[in-house]
Amino acid sequence: MPKQKIQASVGVLAFMVVCGSMQISGCSSGGLTTAIISQAELAVLEAGVRKAPDYAPLELRLAQENLDRAKRAMDLGDYESARRLAERALVDAQLAKAKANAEIASRNAEELQRTIEALSVEAEKSPRRN
Amino acid sequence: MAMLHTEHAFPFAVAFTLLMVSSVVVGCSLTDVPALDRARTSYEQAQQNEQLNAHAPIAIYEAEIALRRAEHAWERNEDREEVEHLAYIAEKKLKIARATARQTMAEAQIQQLAAERETVILEARSREAEQARQGEEARAREAERARREAQEARAQAKKLEQLIAELRAVQTERGLVINLGDVLFESAKADLKPGAIRNVSLLAAFLKEYPKRSVLIEGHTDNVGSESYNLALSQRRADAVRNFLIQNGISPKRIIARGYGEAYPVTSNEIEVGRQQNRRVEVVILREGESTVQRKGSSN
Repeated sequence: MPKQKIQASVGVLAFMVVCGSMQISGCSSGGLTTAIISQAELAVLEAGVRKAPDYAPLELRLAQENLDRAKRAMDLGDYESARRLAERALVDAQLAKAKANAEIASRNAEELQRTIEALSVEAEKSPRRN
Repeated sequence: MAMLHTEHAFPFAVAFTLLMVSSVVVGCSLTDVPALDRARTSYEQAQQNEQLNAHAPIAIYEAEIALRRAEHAWERNEDREEVEHLAYIAEKKLKIARATARQTMAEAQIQQLAAERETVILEARSREAEQARQGEEARAREAERARREAQEARAQAKKLEQLIAELRAVQTERGLVINLGDVLFESAKADLKPGAIRNVSLLAAFLKEYPKRSVLIEGHTDNVGSESYNLALSQRRADAVRNFLIQNGISPKRIIARGYGEAYPVTSNEIEVGRQQNRRVEVVILREGESTVQRKGSSN
């Protein structure tokens, strides 16, 4: 896991512990949400690298939209909405990445299948020289 | 909460009871948050999916945790928005689980297929090697055959050499010439001398070995007696050799026997030794495929 991801995760964890124990409704305030937004941003970037634009474009766009809306909500001081949107962005980005990986693996399997068939056909065609 | 008027109370009570009953039959109480119900249904379906559980157990577990969070939020009467939000997260986690399972299964398939591909390649290679080997064998057999043919050719050539040496044949422009000497015991008889028998036998063996060759048998005499007598005598000498060859299996078509009488002495007839030498039969072995070449000056 890259360093930023670990830091973001730790940050989120810390806030969750604090908020969970204190049960303060206003706890999902700036800090925690910012951490989640960072996580979501990272996830969207990673999905982009993992070919999600090609194989899961809808999911990736959804993630990006939720991320943008999360940031806007932050700017407006609506921390509750911002957190929810950030969490959605994160899970959408994760889904985009998972879908892209699945798609790539499936296509690789198909490609390999085709290769084997081609090899078999070629082997049968080659004449028996006596 | 709406004010319950008595005229609404009864239908409401019935509806409520029916709802509770149906919920009990279903086995799980319906909520007033459709998103949560949907998430539950999706999760239950996923639980029954064997492949999903086998290939993405962790992702399923995370989806379960997310669903629990949504359930707890609903039970604690939290914000409807929050419950819906957590249900959304749970649904997405299930989708992630399905995608993960798909990836895992495809990767397992890739492993299998990679092994299969190796097998196909190996088989193709061994088949190629086999064909190459067969080609090599064929070539080797061919080379062996050629070698043996060459060997036989050499052996045959050697035989010819030996024969030539034994018969003391001489190569002339007409062909190989063998001087059999005086082949008959006496002028009157037609039996071959033992020495002549041996040489003519060798000649017969040679002709059997080289079926494409023909021979000219030429009889000669000394100058004792009349020309016509000597002509007849020399013819008799030549015929004796011819008959012997025929008796030993040589086709008559390959043999021409001629008497030349006293016309071609090889040495002087003045002394007996010379006359003895002139009394002879010469055999000309013609080249392959060649038919008779007339002796120069002969009119026959």
